[in-house]
Amino acid sequence: MGDERRQVLEMLAAGKINADEAERLLTALDGGARNGSAGQSAGATSGTATATKAKPKYLRVQVEADESMTGLKGGTTTVNVRVPMQLLRAGVRLAGLIPQQAHDQLDAAFSKHGVPLTLSQIKPENLEELIDHLEDLTVDVDGKDGNATKVKVFCE
Amino acid sequence: MIPWGASVRVQWRDRVGRRRGFWIWVPLFLVWLILLPLVLVLFPVVALACVFVRLNAVRLYGTAWGILNSLRKTVVDVDTPEVRVWVRVA
Repeated sequence: MGDERRQVLEMLAAGKINADEAERLLTALDGGARNGSAGQSAGATSGTATATKAKPKYLRVQVEADESMTGLKGGTTTVNVRVPMQLLRAGVRLAGLIPQQAHDQLDAAFSKHGVPLTLSQIKPENLEELIDHLEDLTVDVDGKDGNATKVKVFCE
Repeated sequence: MIPWGASVRVQWRDRVGRRRGFWIWVPLFLVWLILLPLVLVLFPVVALACVFVRLNAVRLYGTAWGILNSLRKTVVDVDTPEVRVWVRVA
């Protein structure tokens, strides 16, 4: 039982769950201990303890643009891209291979063009934090004459 | 596991407005087999280049392999009024 409580606390420390979820899990663990039934409660608590947010496997990007944005007559244009999260993680590792001298030059070029991006800060742990916060993001882009383009980015 | 195939479907409208299209399955495993000798030949060249630019060649190869292995289940769908293209990497 101590191991499961420790797991919950470690997940809370890592930011994988928030305080409310941690409290619910700990309560469930305590409730399972009080019930005392080895078979059912052990299954229930272990199921509850591991019932954390499932790690997203894919990043989806959906774009929907109407005629005014694309210039293509006849209807809307949709683009749907699904990228495995593993690919993003591998891409972040690729960024880590860039030599430090190149980092500095690239950072300078980015900031010159108004992009506040620091390559050295792109690390796998930062990506996990971004994924955790990227629950569902919808960006509406205003097109010409009030027509809108939708860009939706989410993890699943 | 590296992707062993990709499914590509293309549809378009002909002059009278009917949808026409085709579907092909691309055997990526054959592409990897064809590229394998080239990779083996370039292996020492890339390693030497990494020494000059102060890159870790092992990490580079590992990352490239990781990217290749991550391509499975990638989906790209583009749907315009004139053409539809669907790509699925298996």
